[in-house]
Amino acid sequence: MSKRLVVALNITLGLLIPIPVPLFAHHGSASYATDKQVVLKGTVTRWLYASPHLLLMLDVKEENGEVTHWVLESQSPTVMYPTGYRKDSFKPGDEVTVTASQARNGKPIGRIIDATTANGTKLGRLPAAATQDQPDVSVRPHP
Amino acid sequence: MRNRFWVSMVILSAAALAISIGTSAQNNSKPTWPEVDWHKPRITVQNQKPAPRRNIAGSWSTAAGPDAGTQAGGVQLKPNNGKPENALPYTPHALEVYKTHKPTEGVDAVPPSEHNDPRNFCEPLGFPRWNHYSLRFTQIFQDEAKIAMLYHYDNRWRIIWTDGRPLPKVLDGGVEIDGQFREQRWMGYSGGKWLDDYTLEVQTVGTMPEDRVWLDNTGRPLSDKLRVTETFRRKDYDTLEWSETIDDPIMYSKPFDALKMAFRLQDPHAEENENICSPKNYQLYLDAFGDDASKK
Repeated sequence: MSKRLVVALNITLGLLIPIPVPLFAHHGSASYATDKQVVLKGTVTRWLYASPHLLLMLDVKEENGEVTHWVLESQSPTVMYPTGYRKDSFKPGDEVTVTASQARNGKPIGRIIDATTANGTKLGRLPAAATQDQPDVSVRPHP
Repeated sequence: MRNRFWVSMVILSAAALAISIGTSAQNNSKPTWPEVDWHKPRITVQNQKPAPRRNIAGSWSTAAGPDAGTQAGGVQLKPNNGKPENALPYTPHALEVYKTHKPTEGVDAVPPSEHNDPRNFCEPLGFPRWNHYSLRFTQIFQDEAKIAMLYHYDNRWRIIWTDGRPLPKVLDGGVEIDGQFREQRWMGYSGGKWLDDYTLEVQTVGTMPEDRVWLDNTGRPLSDKLRVTETFRRKDYDTLEWSETIDDPIMYSKPFDALKMAFRLQDPHAEENENICSPKNYQLYLDAFGDDASKK
């Protein structure tokens, strides 16, 4: 990935609204930099709607014309279904926009925070995990 | 006359079509495969209904929302986050075992490519880790002899006997039942008794040994000398409180509480998507993504 794109992405980061840090049941949050969010516009090459986590692969054209292949994950279908993700949300060739937390190592790998499909449907944000330090003895509706 | 006939026919046809569309729309408004409702109204004095006697059957969702039971960072009441108040009373042996575990969550998490979590090979989680893994939607069925619990993750189920049978005696490498040596089980052997009309206490022994199961996602250890005590308290018609205490003298110098979570009764017709661990899908994940994400 070019330095120019990294700078552009970091500038984008500054404009993003902070979100709660989710806790994952699967592959760990340690790999991601929650302070390194990127907004990607690209072409879908593959969409895998299955456990353990949804996977979206995108080709993103950079300013210099080079194409970077991004691999993005989300959560399980169970967790993401209520936020709008479906097996037919994406298909190869779709032009989509995705906000993601990038891997700490700087590779074109990330965790999807939200996405807009080819037909403009906005898919919901990744749910934030419940507070784990507090005993859950109350009964309250989910916001 | 002829014109009036055709006009009448057109009007009648249009009316019939409108009724048909309206009926169809009504049918479509009610889902035929309803989902769990995460937006149920709060239980108050006004809408609270009395709990049924000695009955915990139902479709239960975590009351504090779909993420409340995830417990990714360790058991609910003692997350493995390095805070002194959440430190577990490890024995020296437990610390040795813990060092061999390579979790992808918690204060000692490793990158995905370095893990050795049995879960990541689609091994059974074992009891009581099922109580600490993405608890979200649990279905409970009950008859005069037993209670069946259907865990959502990996479509696993468990039997709690309520017919008064004694718990097995725990031996090295197994249990004794009616004078016979029997095998250890992933779910253990569970027996329940009603402490009062609304509180069921469940004891579980005979679980798998330390090289097969973890307590939680953060790699905390368990031994096969474990005894788990759970209570299921039906607070009202719509609310179930599920608690759990861990007593494992091989790994922990004293018992500790790991879970106290409220659950909300759902429509018995409601269902959730599958969340089944597939080794092939997991390998796809690692090939496409997991290992690469953890490289420096």
